[in-house]
Amino acid sequence: MYKPKILVVEDDPAISNLIRTTLDTQNYQYHTAKNGSSAILDAVSYKPDVIILDLGLPDMDGVDIIKKVRGWSNLPIIVVSARSEDQDKVDALDAGADDYLTKPFSVDEFLARLRVALRRSHTEETAGEEGSVYNNGELKIDYAAGCAYIRDTEIHLTPIEYKLLCLLAKNTGKVLTHNYILREIWGSALESDIPSLRVFMATLRKKIETNPSSPRYIQTHVGIGYRMIRQ
Amino acid sequence: MEEQRPDPQQLLHSIRAQETRAQQGRLKIFFGYAAGVGKTYAMLQAAHQAQSAGRDVVVGYVERHIRPETLALLDGLEQLPCKEIEYKGVSLREFDIDAALRRRPQLILVDELAHSNAAGSRHAKRYQDVEELLRAGIDVYTTVNVQHLESLNDLVESITHIAVSERIPDHIFDSADQVELVDIEPVDLISRLRAGKVYQRGQAQRALSNFFTEENLIALREIALRRTADRLNRAAQKVGQEAAARAGEHILLCLSSSPSNAGVIRTAARMAEAFHSSFTALFVETPETRELKGDHLKRLRDNLRLAEQMGAQIASVYGDDPAVQIAEFARASGITKIVLGRTNHRPGLFFKGKTLVDRLTDYAGDLEIYIIPDTQPLYKKKLRLLRGEDFRFSWRDLLKTMIVTVLATLIGWAFFALGLREANIIIVYILGVLVTTIWTQGHLYGALASLLSVIAFNYFFTAPHFSLEATAPDYPVTFLIMLAASVISSTLATRVKKQAKQASQKAYYTELLMNCNQKLQQGRDEQEILQLASQQLSILLDRPILFALAKKEKLHFHVMPAAREQEILQGLTSEEYGVADWVVKNNKRAGATTTTLSNAHNLYLAVRGTQGVMGVVAIPFKYYPDLEVFEKNLMISIVNECGLVLERRRLQQEKQSIELETQQERLRSNLLRAISHDLRTPLTSISGNAGILMEKSIALNEEKKQELYSSIYDDSMWLVNLTENLLSITRIENGTMHLQMDAQLLADVFQEALAHVDRQAKEHQITTELPDDLLMARMDVRLIVQVIINIVNNAIKYTPVGSHIVLRAERWGSMVEVSISDDGSGILNEEKTHLFDMFYTASQGNSDNRRGLGLGLSLCRSIVVAHGGTISVTDNHPHGSVFTFTLPLEEVEVKNV
Repeated sequence: MYKPKILVVEDDPAISNLIRTTLDTQNYQYHTAKNGSSAILDAVSYKPDVIILDLGLPDMDGVDIIKKVRGWSNLPIIVVSARSEDQDKVDALDAGADDYLTKPFSVDEFLARLRVALRRSHTEETAGEEGSVYNNGELKIDYAAGCAYIRDTEIHLTPIEYKLLCLLAKNTGKVLTHNYILREIWGSALESDIPSLRVFMATLRKKIETNPSSPRYIQTHVGIGYRMIRQ
Repeated sequence: MEEQRPDPQQLLHSIRAQETRAQQGRLKIFFGYAAGVGKTYAMLQAAHQAQSAGRDVVVGYVERHIRPETLALLDGLEQLPCKEIEYKGVSLREFDIDAALRRRPQLILVDELAHSNAAGSRHAKRYQDVEELLRAGIDVYTTVNVQHLESLNDLVESITHIAVSERIPDHIFDSADQVELVDIEPVDLISRLRAGKVYQRGQAQRALSNFFTEENLIALREIALRRTADRLNRAAQKVGQEAAARAGEHILLCLSSSPSNAGVIRTAARMAEAFHSSFTALFVETPETRELKGDHLKRLRDNLRLAEQMGAQIASVYGDDPAVQIAEFARASGITKIVLGRTNHRPGLFFKGKTLVDRLTDYAGDLEIYIIPDTQPLYKKKLRLLRGEDFRFSWRDLLKTMIVTVLATLIGWAFFALGLREANIIIVYILGVLVTTIWTQGHLYGALASLLSVIAFNYFFTAPHFSLEATAPDYPVTFLIMLAASVISSTLATRVKKQAKQASQKAYYTELLMNCNQKLQQGRDEQEILQLASQQLSILLDRPILFALAKKEKLHFHVMPAAREQEILQGLTSEEYGVADWVVKNNKRAGATTTTLSNAHNLYLAVRGTQGVMGVVAIPFKYYPDLEVFEKNLMISIVNECGLVLERRRLQQEKQSIELETQQERLRSNLLRAISHDLRTPLTSISGNAGILMEKSIALNEEKKQELYSSIYDDSMWLVNLTENLLSITRIENGTMHLQMDAQLLADVFQEALAHVDRQAKEHQITTELPDDLLMARMDVRLIVQVIINIVNNAIKYTPVGSHIVLRAERWGSMVEVSISDDGSGILNEEKTHLFDMFYTASQGNSDNRRGLGLGLSLCRSIVVAHGGTISVTDNHPHGSVFTFTLPLEEVEVKNV
């Protein structure tokens, strides 16, 4: 069986210990780095499947590490931050991080996020090609035909809703910030457009989710953005 | 007794003066009564002494034509190189102030304080350089001769008959920290001169016969000694002086453009000193003075500056009749003595039968009036009609005059044809002259119209018609009277017109000033106050005004009106910024029309508060006309007003922020006390349980271990929740500004909140009801999620297992109403009132396992109130309670591209 390799970048010994213990219970391979510069070296030499990155490192800003890594690799990065301001997370996500965790986090939550990230790196490796059909649980998108299906019934989407769905699907497992989505769909990133985005998301969700109040596919990250979950 | 007690204000003032003095350099003046008494020699000797006492001494500038003995004294002293300035092909050596400021010695020697710098230097006068050195904290030694003192200038001139153009204001001399009189017997000086020690041989002979006569020298020496003694006297009386001035004399001096006015100013200044009185120079602006040009205008400006230098307060009033204006001003300002020159105010042609002095005595009989005799040749006031500048020729006005005369003739012709009498025709012509006067500029056209009318009347209407001859014997009289009547009426009309113009201008200025203060008060912040002041200045001076607040960083100019801001700011060179910086640093005006850095395009004024420079205002002069005295005064008043308002605002803000800080400090300390008390319980539980697990792990069965684990977990979750609440409190505490308001879907908010409620929630039935699932409200989502979590956690905590909790949101007018209801046992009425108070915890149930800071609901209320909503609690039916709060509704216009 393939054992995923995880690079843990964390300078606090207690948190580092907690993460390592958690990874041990799941039989994951891991390697730890205590600062930014060794993290970048390890990211090259250790070839991890996922990086868990603490934003508050002693030697450099976590966002810079993300930018450096993104310079040559698309491997999933999960950011861990003790800062409560949303803007830090949004910055990290905009720099190319896939997901974030705020301290204190529960072990269950941590493992769930890790699984999502691993699934993304896995599907990217196996699927590789941008298939013309997207399958996720009961959701199916036929890119060639420009149609989406739930349980093989076509759902009727407005052009914007369809574009939103495709954008989320192509970045499955990744948290997309409001600004990123606005830029991709509308070509602008005005704060004032975010409420519109929320309304579109709500209507889209109503069409694809069986129970919109506890969504399976599209997750809302309040104050940050949205994410498509792989079923 | 009371009189002797020092006024606290005055004490404070003198303490402040002493404080600034401590930072300022000290000035020592070597004072002599003539060249050659040995001032420079004494100065250099003193410098050597200072140097051997361990001070850092530098020679900034010493005249080169000094005697060998003096030159020898320069040995061993560091000398600053002079600046070479090229002026009209001649290379001039000047003191280099920038080098001195860079070198920053403790003490610097600068010879000849009264020297005028070459054009292109920073300051026009050397004493200004010295003032800047002193402000920079450098001590200065300098030399000056008695004839260079402004107030003694004319006195010395009357003795020696030699005019001295280089002068220093008396306040420099009086405020010097030390004055050393360098004295020598006149006889010795003459013998020194004979020996060629002061001037070269040839020059010495001339000097001996002209200036250095024994009588002259004795007189000069006496003046110098007396002036030095006066200065000592004044220093001793300094404290008493201000009080005396307030209770005692107030001298008013009348400024004019007359060349003899300078003498009047000096005399008045000497009087003011003798009486220890306050001293005001008044300029009466009349229609005539507005038309002053060339030499007159320049002389007026010089006189103004002179009065200012002599320590006078400058005031100006606007009116037609100087006597009335002076009398009114004197009465309003409590003037006791008026000083006037004699010549300038000759009786007028028509209206002023009396001299100004006579009229002034009529209006203000209780005032003492001093008339200073005139030694200058008569200064003739030319006939106004003949003055070239008064008459502005324009074809338009000439045409208007013609048209009116022709019209009058036509009407007259009609009257004539109707057989009306000649008198009517004359009246029509006089009416025509009046119309012409009102319609044209300058009263020459009125006179022309009068003349034309008489000729036309003669030509058309007197027998024989169509000829300039008049047969009837009484016609010459008719013509004369007609001419006189029309000239007088045209003159009167001109005056009425002028007065109307003056009145409207005066009303306009007064209104401007009155509005100014009110407007400035409305400024929301310092930037806006300064902007409003600049707007007023811009209206007043009819040009764009640049302004910048003086802060620690570089000056950042804005322009009012903002229309051409970009263009104007681009034209602002680094030299201009340099001038502005100088103004901020030195708290003095500089630039165009001043004597400091006068090459600049703009005039830079410091906007002063009592504690320093608050900002800078720049007034462009390059493409704009010079200012009139009245405008200048108004400008200064506005700038001063602005400085005061700015300062008041700054103090107010400081006070507010201190108050806010105290309040927050109090809240914080309450909070800290509560926290440290309440944190102990969960921390004891966590550390205790963990300790047991570490040491006694083997002795415990699995069930017991699980119990300890979950206890540790629960307590830490409680701490997590507390941390979130505390974080929210810090954000709220800093005021509502930090709310990140954003339109949010209530559905998302509920979902987010429910993901964070306690684990025990699994034992409660939580449902959401959203009639409109696209309902949106404006909120800081983190804080509102916190509110919902707190209320739901409370509901979980205080209701039995299995209770139902319902989250509901719906539109309520322009608000969104969120309600969280439970079917627990409800809340007692007396508790409802305290529920939202800080540190209040419900007493019901078992207090051992229900701990809490009582922060939750008080925080909820703060957050909701900060959002502009309300929060309340009511009873649920049949039992339980409902928490309801409101948030501003957001209606989204969906962007459908």
